Amino acid sequence: MWAWVNYLHGRTVMPAAEQGGNEDMPATVGLPRSLLFHKYHVLWESFFRELGVQTITSPPSNRAILARGIELAVDETCVPVKLLLGHVDALRDKADYVLIPRIVTLARGETACVKFLGSYDVARNAIPGIRLLEYSVDVEKGLYERPELCRVGATFERNRRKVRRAYDEASRIHARHMRDLSERQETALARPGIKVLVVGHAYNLYDEMLGKPIVDFLGKNGVEVVCSEFHDTAKARKLARRISQDIPWTFNKELLGALESYRHRVDGIIFLVTFPCGPDSLMTELCMRSVKGTPSIMLVLDELQSEAGLQTRLESFIDLIVAGKQRMLMSGDAS
Amino acid sequence: MGNYSIPVKLLAEELECEIVSPPKMTKRTLELGARHSPEFVCIPFKYNLGNYIEALDKGANVLLQAGGGCRFGYYGEVQEAILRDLGYDFGMVRLLGGWKVRDHIADFKLVNPRLTLLRAFNAYRLALRQTQALDAVEDYVRRNAGFEVEEGAFEEVHEAFLGELDTARDRRTIQEIEKRYLAELAAIPTERPDDLLRIGIVGELYVLMEPFSNLFVEKELAKRGVEVHRFVTVSNMVKHGGAKGSAHLDDLIKNSGDYVRYHLGADGTESVSMTYQLMQKGFDGVLHLKPFGCMPEVNAMAALQRLSREHTFPVLFISYDAQTSETGLRTRLDAFCDMLRMRKQRPNAISVADVDRVRLAEADRRAV
Repeated sequence: MWAWVNYLHGRTVMPAAEQGGNEDMPATVGLPRSLLFHKYHVLWESFFRELGVQTITSPPSNRAILARGIELAVDETCVPVKLLLGHVDALRDKADYVLIPRIVTLARGETACVKFLGSYDVARNAIPGIRLLEYSVDVEKGLYERPELCRVGATFERNRRKVRRAYDEASRIHARHMRDLSERQETALARPGIKVLVVGHAYNLYDEMLGKPIVDFLGKNGVEVVCSEFHDTAKARKLARRISQDIPWTFNKELLGALESYRHRVDGIIFLVTFPCGPDSLMTELCMRSVKGTPSIMLVLDELQSEAGLQTRLESFIDLIVAGKQRMLMSGDAS
Repeated sequence: MGNYSIPVKLLAEELECEIVSPPKMTKRTLELGARHSPEFVCIPFKYNLGNYIEALDKGANVLLQAGGGCRFGYYGEVQEAILRDLGYDFGMVRLLGGWKVRDHIADFKLVNPRLTLLRAFNAYRLALRQTQALDAVEDYVRRNAGFEVEEGAFEEVHEAFLGELDTARDRRTIQEIEKRYLAELAAIPTERPDDLLRIGIVGELYVLMEPFSNLFVEKELAKRGVEVHRFVTVSNMVKHGGAKGSAHLDDLIKNSGDYVRYHLGADGTESVSMTYQLMQKGFDGVLHLKPFGCMPEVNAMAALQRLSREHTFPVLFISYDAQTSETGLRTRLDAFCDMLRMRKQRPNAISVADVDRVRLAEADRRAV
């Protein structure tokens, strides 16, 4: 047992043989349903499944998880990180390890938001005694996803080749999943009716407490929701340059790419921002100034959100779009 | 930023540009900046934008913005868009990337097309030397101004130093000025009590280095008879920012008592590591400053809170935004200094953290 803990505190790969008594009781890995989970869950789940390691995912965000996260976090932390801490804490007694990846740079000259750099250390300090698994992706320092995730796998499986094969298979499944998502995106865009683009990070859009109520509410009111998913990263980068040359954050580049490529095909744009998000505070400002001609609003979500207030704003936004469309039809100028 | 406008001015003059320094910062600067800024962007953005508007109104036509390891690296482009929407016409030099002259030669060429590499290099070296002189003198003032016998003695010499440094245009003069003023400062009579408080200041670089934005926290501490230490200066940034940057980071992480294992972004790692080191050096407390919502420092705070709890080491956290009041700050500093003095007088007293620890240990025992 202590050999395990020591391993987690160092970064050397411990041979699986030293796991000893753990053979008969398989370890479970906890996946917190927050932040990068919404981007990489297919990859992680398939990777551990291929390795025969059991995973457990925390439940969708709820009031209790958020409340626990707020308690654990520094007041000024952004809402998604508060949720992360809540999710990690929810897994504390259920899983042997909790996976928190650390993404620094995915491509040269770019970076991920500072919260992805620090979330491992933040969780470690906020929840003393928690057992974490981490892998780092930092292209500028020569840390890539494959060897790093295989290092995590090596703690469960001593056969290196088997680990690598598990990763390759998982990464294939992940790529297929991404293609499916892109196709679904195109069908959504092709449908008739009022379409609204919601620009926001995956960890906000798909979170039960943050983006989901908004997306559901829009759907209930007959609006086709297009999420700012854009899976062709290279193309996203190229498109993003039309709006911003200097933006350093990879995930924001994807958002800008989605915005630039879909904005002429939708009737309205909603910028979904959580308080006090650093990258989005600046990016949204620039977007609102450069995206003119399409109705747009910015919704800032925090932990004290009231649903009624939000719904009123959404309703009036939809009314505005509908009124605009009717006016265009009446004047006979549909272009 | 602070008195660093002096070396920047020298740099620009050597490169044959006319420089329009923004007027000294006032509350109006912040009001102007905040009015046109995104709502919850961090406070340096608002100050910068205010500075720009005031400088443009004074006739500047080229603005300079630097970059850093957090959203600071993205200030320039957004500020440019905001200012253009306000109807200003100007050029903007965005210095992103390293601290080497070579990285920036293209940027400077934009300002002055007749520039040669040699000339830029010399100008850069001179400005750097000036910065080092400035930092050395200001460091001395920080450590000693709290104990002056005659009130205002340090400030007077400091002002005179700034005036002379501003006109110095070669290395020898700068060196001579630095030496002379350090001697002059050393000659000022001081009275150091036996139980003086030593406080280190760590945190985000802008609010650390711009006294107006941190509501002159260093002077306030000096007034309370505190020896103030600060390590984030431009000279240190240049020293650690170059090729040895990543080795410096590794060093910081190694000396952080396992409170950080990976770089936390921007100055976060340094804040934790310096606090840990200062604690071991026997400092009485640490002040942690940051703009509201500064993510790297928020990352650092998780570690700092645990460090403070586990070692019963006092850390005062201060967040600055456009609404931070001087009175509130003074009250907190008073309470903090009083608390540190009381700890010194009764070293064995039980603190709240001790009580917490006992309670936690008991809960753990019960859980087992």
